[in-house]
Amino acid sequence: MPAETHVVPDPLDRGQIFVIVRDLLVDILELDPDAITEGKSFKDDLGADSLALVELVEALEEELSERTVGFRIEDEDLADLKTVRDAVDFVHSQLNTR
Amino acid sequence: MLPIAVDAMGGDRAPDEILAGAHEAARLGLPVVLVGPAGLEGCGDLDLIEASEVIAMDDDPGKSVRTKKDSTLVRAAEAVRDGRASAMVSAGNTGATMASALLRMGRIKGVNRPAIATPIPVPGGSPTVLIDAGANAEVQAEWLVQFAQMGSVYSRHRFGVASPRVGLLSIGEEPGKGDTLRKEAFELLSRAGGINFIGNVEGRDVMTDDVDVVVTDGFTGNVVLKTLEGGMRTLVKALLAAFASKPEYKPHADVLLPALLPLYEAVDPDTTGGAVLLGVDGVCIISHGSSSARAIVNAIKVAADMVEHGIVDEIRAAIASAPVPTRSAE
Repeated sequence: MPAETHVVPDPLDRGQIFVIVRDLLVDILELDPDAITEGKSFKDDLGADSLALVELVEALEEELSERTVGFRIEDEDLADLKTVRDAVDFVHSQLNTR
Repeated sequence: MLPIAVDAMGGDRAPDEILAGAHEAARLGLPVVLVGPAGLEGCGDLDLIEASEVIAMDDDPGKSVRTKKDSTLVRAAEAVRDGRASAMVSAGNTGATMASALLRMGRIKGVNRPAIATPIPVPGGSPTVLIDAGANAEVQAEWLVQFAQMGSVYSRHRFGVASPRVGLLSIGEEPGKGDTLRKEAFELLSRAGGINFIGNVEGRDVMTDDVDVVVTDGFTGNVVLKTLEGGMRTLVKALLAAFASKPEYKPHADVLLPALLPLYEAVDPDTTGGAVLLGVDGVCIISHGSSSARAIVNAIKVAADMVEHGIVDEIRAAIASAPVPTRSAE
C-alpha cells in the first residue's frame, strides 16, 4: 500500500497573485481585464465601493484557503488596501509568512 | 414552491410582529420557514432554521456579515443559495440584508451592482417603481441603465405594465438638465435597448401615472422615498386633526372616512410589502424596519409572487440581451 502523500503546491509569486486578484475584480466589478493594473485605486479608478471590497476579500479567502489553510484578511487590514498593488502585496506577504 | 425564509429577528418590532406575520402568511397557504435562535418562542408549527446571532440595525453591513456568520440574515441568504428556501424576507438592517444577499447568493452575471426597487403608490393607478431606493449611494451612469432594465422587468411582472415608461429623475425635463451623472445617464439611456425611456422626470412626477419606473442613485432615491413617506404621514395627521378640530365637523368626517380609508391604505407603506433587491441571484425582500405583521404578510406575498414569476431569470435574460451602450467619444 503506497504511503500517503501530501502535494504541497508551489508558492505563488507576485505575478500569479496579481492575476488572481485581477480576475476576481473582473468578475466582481464587471470590468475589462485590461482596465485593471497594479497602480489603480479601488475607489477612485475602479469604482469599487466598500461592499465590492468585501466581495473581493471573501473571494480571495475562498480561492486561497484551498492553498493555505485558514487564509484570512482581517477587517482592520482591509481598510489599508487602497490600490490593486496594496492587495497583491498584502496577499503575497501573508502567504510568505505562513 | 420551496418555503420563504423569514428573518424572525430583523426589525424594530421583531420577533413578535414578524412571527405574527409569518403565521398569518402560512394560514393563507404560503410556505414559510423562520430563521431564528433555537427554541424561539412563538415559532409554533412553523419550521425553523437555527441561527444564534442577530445583526443589529446599526451594525456595519459588510463587517457584520463577515463576523456574524451564524446570524439570521446570513443563514436566510444561505438557505436561498443552498436551495432550502425560494426567497428571503427581512425587516432588519437594510445594508446588512443587501450584503448578506450579495455575498451569499451572488450577483446575476453581468449586473454591476444590485439595486433596491420600491413601489411608490399612485392613487388610482399602478405603483411607480423607484430604483435605486438606497443600495448604492454613489453610482456610475452605466449602472443607472441596468437599474432601468431591472426596474422595467420588475414593473412588468409585479404590476403587469406591458412596456414600462422609464424616467430619469432630474431637476428638469429637458435633456441637458441635471449634473454630470444625469447628463451621462440620459445619453446612455437614450441608446439603451430593452427599455422604454421617456426622458427626464421630476420629483413631482413620482406619484403620478406619467411614469412607471423612476431611475436614480441610491442616495437620492432614499431621500425621495423618506420624503414621500414623511409627507404622506404628515398629511394624514393634518387631515385627522382638521376633522377633529370642531365638533360640528365630526358627522361630515364620518361620511368622508369610508372614502378616505382605502386611499390611506393605498399609500400606507405596509401595503406595498417592502422593497425588492434586484440583481442578486435569488429573491430578497427588504421590509422597512418598523414593519408590522401586516407588512410582513405582504412582503411574503411579494416574495412568493416574484418566485412564481421567475423574476431572477427574467432579469438575467434582460441583462444578457441588452448590453449597456458604451459612452460616446468626447
